[in-house]
Amino acid sequence: MAQTIHVGMADLVAVKVPSLLVTLGLGSCIGVVIYDPRNKVAGMAHIMLPDSRDAGAVLKPGKFADTAVPRLLQELSALGALPSNLQAKIAGGAQMFNIPGKDSGLLAVGARNIEATKRWLAHFNVPLVAEDTGGNKGRSIEFNVPLWNLSVKVLGVGVKEL
Amino acid sequence: MEWGDFSNLQLDAVREVGNIGTGNAATALSQLLGRAVDMGVPEADLIPIYELAGRYGSPETPVCAVLIRAEGDFPCNLIFVIDEGAGQELANLLIAMDISTLDPELQIQMRDSALGEVGNIILGAFLNAISMLTGYVMPASVPAVAHDMLGSVMDIVASIFGVIGDTALLVKTSLQVKDVECEVNGNVIMVPDPGSLETLLQKLGV
Repeated sequence: MAQTIHVGMADLVAVKVPSLLVTLGLGSCIGVVIYDPRNKVAGMAHIMLPDSRDAGAVLKPGKFADTAVPRLLQELSALGALPSNLQAKIAGGAQMFNIPGKDSGLLAVGARNIEATKRWLAHFNVPLVAEDTGGNKGRSIEFNVPLWNLSVKVLGVGVKEL
Repeated sequence: MEWGDFSNLQLDAVREVGNIGTGNAATALSQLLGRAVDMGVPEADLIPIYELAGRYGSPETPVCAVLIRAEGDFPCNLIFVIDEGAGQELANLLIAMDISTLDPELQIQMRDSALGEVGNIILGAFLNAISMLTGYVMPASVPAVAHDMLGSVMDIVASIFGVIGDTALLVKTSLQVKDVECEVNGNVIMVPDPGSLETLLQKLGV
């Protein structure tokens, strides 16, 4: 029986056992999963913001794209993942509120989150194999270890498998 | 000042801003609907941003949220959040005619327009109260309406506070429309831009 692990805001979890990694209600945040299907290791982070350099102390590395990706890779490798086997899937980064004729600044953080997460995955040579990002709707996501499918649920739209 | 390091006096001052804002908002909503509107005692809480998603209910609860953005002396976002069902009820109250025979797409547009207007009036009244209290000029945007999961709305709130710290100061107030079959409860959440709350507190002299 797979255990269900809830990955809260700015959390970061890596597992080696059958699990369901779950994040409910992503808005502008990004849910990123990185996994090694050969060694059956996977991890998920709930990234809130693109860049830790804008902030003071980093209490939770899962909070920022530039700290979450390397930390997740570190934890995966501690569990036996090999860098050359790694793949990534991401979801999230919506902009739910659109104010016409305005530069939405803080409300447009979703797009910057998507860009930063992809940039850091590329930086560490982790291929992005699937994504469901952007748009104007929030998402709930579930990643099944070891089926490696990411289901993305959108209110009023339905479930999509990545 | 260290973010998240507010005194009780300062929290009281912010609560009072919420109180006056909500009072204004309740009056405005009452006039709009021609019905009695009750308000709850505002809460001003310091909350770790990581707990926001589940703070006001299950993260997957469908809600309707209306957001307006204020610029100027006190830049902030104000959000009116209401359960999806109650939101539709409120929209129907405002439209006050049977639109069930219209094209479904048109019905959605009419309801969204009504909800945007309700949000605009409630949040505009809230802003006016802050403006009168402080003398601040705060031009507001037009309302943006979203139907989504509560968790996703709070996710955005958390990101805004998360820019400079790990704590959110949320002012939450409730409005209740009386004498309808379905009880309509909504919350107003004030989300100051990073750093702007300090300006407000200085202005209030605490």
